[in-house]
Amino acid sequence: MMATVANLLAFVALAVTLVLVWRQSWRGRVRLFIVQSLVLGALAAAIGLLARRPVLLLVAAVFLVVKTWLIPRVLRRMAAGAPLRPVRPGRSSGIPVLVAGGLVVVAYVIMLPVSGLASSALPTRGAIPLAFAMALIGLFVCVTGRDALGQVTGFLVFENAIFALGVVATYGMPGIVEAGVFLEVLVIVLLMEGVLVQMRREHDSLDVDRLRELRG
Amino acid sequence: MAALVYTLTALLGAAAAATGVAGMLGASWAVDVDWLVPLGGLALEMDALAGLFVALVGATAVPASLYAIGYTGRERRGCLAYLVFVAAMLAVPLAANVMTFALAWELMSLASYVLVLDGARAGREPAASAHAGWVYAVMTHAGLACMLAGMLLLTAWTGSARFADWTAAAPALGAGARSLAWALLALGFGAKAGGVPLHVWLPLAHPAAPSHVSALMSGVMIKLGIYGLLRASFVWLAPALPWWGATLLLVGAISAVAGVLYAIVDRDLKRLLAFSSIENVGIVLVGTGAALTFAATSMAGLALLALAAALYHVVNHAAFKSLLFMAAGGVLHGTGTRDMEALGGLIKRQPWTAACFLVGAVAIAGLPPLNGFVSEWLMFQALLQNVLLPQPSLNLVFALAIAGLALAAGLAVACFVKAFGITFLALPRSDAAAAAHEAPVTMRVAMVATAVACAALALGASSIVPALAVVAATLVPAPPPVTLGAWLTLEVSGEFASLSMPAVALALAGGILLPVLLLAVARVRPRPRRYETWACGRVLQTARMEYTATAFADPFTRVFDFFYRPVKRLDIDRHPESRFFVRRIRYENPTRFIVDEWLYRPVGRLLRAAARRVAVVQSGSPNLYLAYVLAALLLLLLVA
Repeated sequence: MMATVANLLAFVALAVTLVLVWRQSWRGRVRLFIVQSLVLGALAAAIGLLARRPVLLLVAAVFLVVKTWLIPRVLRRMAAGAPLRPVRPGRSSGIPVLVAGGLVVVAYVIMLPVSGLASSALPTRGAIPLAFAMALIGLFVCVTGRDALGQVTGFLVFENAIFALGVVATYGMPGIVEAGVFLEVLVIVLLMEGVLVQMRREHDSLDVDRLRELRG
Repeated sequence: MAALVYTLTALLGAAAAATGVAGMLGASWAVDVDWLVPLGGLALEMDALAGLFVALVGATAVPASLYAIGYTGRERRGCLAYLVFVAAMLAVPLAANVMTFALAWELMSLASYVLVLDGARAGREPAASAHAGWVYAVMTHAGLACMLAGMLLLTAWTGSARFADWTAAAPALGAGARSLAWALLALGFGAKAGGVPLHVWLPLAHPAAPSHVSALMSGVMIKLGIYGLLRASFVWLAPALPWWGATLLLVGAISAVAGVLYAIVDRDLKRLLAFSSIENVGIVLVGTGAALTFAATSMAGLALLALAAALYHVVNHAAFKSLLFMAAGGVLHGTGTRDMEALGGLIKRQPWTAACFLVGAVAIAGLPPLNGFVSEWLMFQALLQNVLLPQPSLNLVFALAIAGLALAAGLAVACFVKAFGITFLALPRSDAAAAAHEAPVTMRVAMVATAVACAALALGASSIVPALAVVAATLVPAPPPVTLGAWLTLEVSGEFASLSMPAVALALAGGILLPVLLLAVARVRPRPRRYETWACGRVLQTARMEYTATAFADPFTRVFDFFYRPVKRLDIDRHPESRFFVRRIRYENPTRFIVDEWLYRPVGRLLRAAARRVAVVQSGSPNLYLAYVLAALLLLLLVA
């Protein structure tokens, strides 16, 4: 029962992540991030219920508040006034989605020693490669992001995936760790907002290529 | 607020001094707090050697903190770093495992770095002082890297991060392994102690720091390098190999001579003192090296004597060098400059500071009846007995070290004649010196207390030397090398030599006081006549005609030409009408530093070239940087 639910929800989250790679519009990506966060919150809650870990329910609640309400708010504020990136003709999302698919395979290969172990007593072990693939894809979105907003999205997806990985692998880390991580992500996003404001003031653009001149 | 922190530090120092003395007398204890620090926990352990150094740090921190109250005035900045600095220095000798030691060591380095930058900010040449901070940071961390490498090697080989386990496991290690670990540790500790050629940070950082911090850095921080060296050579890696001691002997002799040679030609009062610290560390290194060599050739009695002499010099140097730095700080406080060419005549405006500086100068120059004399004398007694060693090659090293030490002792006298004479005697060479004011009362109290300590350390030699011998005997077990005869006479190695400090002091005092007394008894009262100083027939005598610091050093620059490699620059600005009328002459002969030019410049060039190669990966594109992260992650996961 638990394995099925965990696998299903992790799979749905991975699918959402792939759609996020495919989407080019910033607003669309923020919406997809919210969807992914909802799914992962549900995953944490489900595992909390099935594994009888009431603390995980609380963690899921905090997670949902931070990831689907607080951070999206900040993200929208960041994007407000950003010159909308013109969608350049001839630029397809095909290659990134293909690479993301490749990363899923890589994740399965890497996690083989963990998930393939039949003796492993962890019922949710099937979801581990899925969560890990999400992390890799998040980093990939970060790497390929053409402007600072893209990199923030990538980082957030990566962070969500790490949370998912933590939930399926350990059924929730100690509360203090979770709280620290939530706070940290919030602070990073707020900092990024500051950086973006500064960038926009300096360069009138969020293109990260403009940062090249900061090289020492 | 600042005064409160300094008072607190003084109390901490006093408590630590008491604890340390108790430790020296045999009150050993240990504290283990496992949860506080990762990798082994916080572990402190008191033994005789640790007790000596804790007492030294504590006892020096008391006058330095008192001095700081007057010296810093209302300036608040730096007082917390100062407290951390003293606390970390107290923790270093007590550390009983790698993690605790490394933490305390690094905390000490960082706090002193902050204090150096702090002094630099307040100083006159921020750029030069920032450079000083940078060199200090680089050297201290290079040293830390060597030290940690040595410690981690030992941890891996012995399977334990506790120092006590190393002592037990070291004899089983091969000679090559122990030598490698010793070399790494010696490099790390030597960089902190300031032995040539690892001394380059010392003449930059010590003058830049505020004077109470300079007093602690020169007086005790560099001694913790000696502590580490003693601990590593005699405890962790025992039994010693002969070449360790021979290396230390040579390095010590070179440091002693080079340090004092640079000190003689320097015109910055605090930098002169910093160079002289290199000299004194050299003397201590010679003693340590001699002790190691004797220990490695199983002559425990002589090893104990040399070690006691080295420890005595450590204590003495802490006393007189902190005194001198505090007095130099008094000069800086009163005149606003450290340049000796702008000082002069301060003895009239700053009698207390001058008197204290004089005491320190006599002590550091190794003149009786003060403490520098006793420890250097004892050191020579240990070195001269090397004739008992059967190996001619080691005898040769000893001979070189003795010659170096003798030369350094002679030059030190000249150096401090110059430091005292140019700074305090004659006429003021600048308006700042003419308008100097005496130091505030807390500074005076601190200086006088330290000066009294210098005298006490000399006159009490008959009780201090046996106490230090007891500490040294925990490292090299042997019967005491020094016995007490009548008149508190120290009798070294049986009949070899003897010295009675009270008798020397009495004879000196008698020699000075007797003529005065006789004249008073005979009621001969020479009638004083006041007249101008004889000025070689010149009508006018101004401060510009005075002997300068550069002039004083000139004979030394000529004699040691091969060492200083001075650059002479002479600009003469003649009158356009006649070349016999000179408008201005400008003469400079800056000395160059061999070690800088032959060792650090080439290494720096190499490093820079390597850095340029590596800089290719720094493209400036954030996407590429992120790609590095992803690639590294994937690589690690796939390979591991």
